[in-house]
Amino acid sequence: MKEIRLSWLTFLRMYLRSFLLQASWNFENLQNLGFFYLMLPGLRDIYGDEIPADVCQRHGTYFNTHPYFAPLVAGTTLRLESLSIAGAESAVDAETYKKMVMAPLAAMGDALFWGGVRPLAALVGLLIASQGSLWAPLVFLVLFNLPHLLFRGTGLILGYVQELRAIETIQKWHLPDLAIRLKESTTVLIGVLCAYLSFKGCEHQDLSAVWGFVLLPIVLLFAWLAHKGVTSLFLVLLTTGSLLLLALLF
Amino acid sequence: MVVGDYLLAGLVAMLTGLDRVALVQIMISRPLVAAPLTGWVLGSPLVGLEVGMLLELLWLGRLPVGAAIPPDDTQVAVGATVMAISVGHMLNLSGMPMVILSVLIAIPLGKFGQVFDRLARHANDRLAVSGQNALLAGDTNGLERYHLFGLVSFALASLATAVVIVLVGSFVLYSVTPLLIGTLREAGLSLQYSLILVGAASLLGTINVNRSLSLFCAAFTGTMLVLWMR
Repeated sequence: MKEIRLSWLTFLRMYLRSFLLQASWNFENLQNLGFFYLMLPGLRDIYGDEIPADVCQRHGTYFNTHPYFAPLVAGTTLRLESLSIAGAESAVDAETYKKMVMAPLAAMGDALFWGGVRPLAALVGLLIASQGSLWAPLVFLVLFNLPHLLFRGTGLILGYVQELRAIETIQKWHLPDLAIRLKESTTVLIGVLCAYLSFKGCEHQDLSAVWGFVLLPIVLLFAWLAHKGVTSLFLVLLTTGSLLLLALLF
Repeated sequence: MVVGDYLLAGLVAMLTGLDRVALVQIMISRPLVAAPLTGWVLGSPLVGLEVGMLLELLWLGRLPVGAAIPPDDTQVAVGATVMAISVGHMLNLSGMPMVILSVLIAIPLGKFGQVFDRLARHANDRLAVSGQNALLAGDTNGLERYHLFGLVSFALASLATAVVIVLVGSFVLYSVTPLLIGTLREAGLSLQYSLILVGAASLLGTINVNRSLSLFCAAFTGTMLVLWMR
């Protein structure tokens, strides 16, 4: 039997539906309905309007991955479904593939987008905002969403075209290494931001900039406290209380 | 502020709240975007920008991974902006002290966000069961309906959080502002910078990179020297 290929309109529909992946996020099965909802245009192309019960059963169960990596998984899963209908041999079936990759891709996506791209874009935005510029939110959105939107689209097409080999391609991109480089860049920008604010603070108080260096061990102490699990709320209250007390005393 | 302004702020609260998990996730939910957006619809985008700057880094290191629910910094940002503008108008006060006080009052109220978010996700548990039943009955249109209905739970949770923050926060802000505004004016700029530095320290403490300490110290020292010798 000839393999059924998905149309560009179907890919576009799936791309748009990927933005609704987590609309019904729940504690029981996390993204299960969302993943089926994302794949539905493709499944309708392959099976028609009457989707077989076994297909509904295997793709309506527990699913959880990083939302930006879900289109990649959906692309490959649909290709494996259509290959299976055409009677072609595949190393793993669609259900096994999905279960195999969702957790590693979730970890990769969390480190790259939540731990890497987002803090870096936020720091750049914050440095612009510290100049009082309203361009800051826009710059942040552009910096974050260029890789984000590109990755969603590329992932969907890559997953479908390369099917199981898409994972090898993703491995070749060295995304965990990229995430570490982004985190390192974020750390540098945190240093720049802290120094800039310390300098401005000294300027405002008519103090020599040398006093700004006093803030370095304080920031490091707070970072250590945060690392040890002290909440941001406590650190905010501690700082506010101390500064208000100082303002009252002097 | 008129009723229409509060309705607009409520709409922004729902839209930005949906962006946190349920819809799109293009990060309009980040305080650096949500607060200026709220300020813009209320006619004071710079107030929003100041609120966003204070809040952006505080919980940035808390990742929305799996079933973990980080504090709702989106509604804290929206609520603090609404409070700073509306109570500021009532008391005829504006500027950084008002912004700082609004943020300080809104931050602990953000805990309500976690409660409402958890309730929304539990409500979605029931939707998921109905959706799965529809799927097993071959009703894929039914599944689509149940799935999209989940947006309502998340939108209501965001709105409820914003309403609690604005109502409780405005009352507290209105009561304590006359008592604290003088002291806050004294500490104003130092407090603003310090709160951003607390956020930076919190983020630094949660970044897991081997050389983070040396990179941070080198960047801090280098920047200070450049600014000093300028």
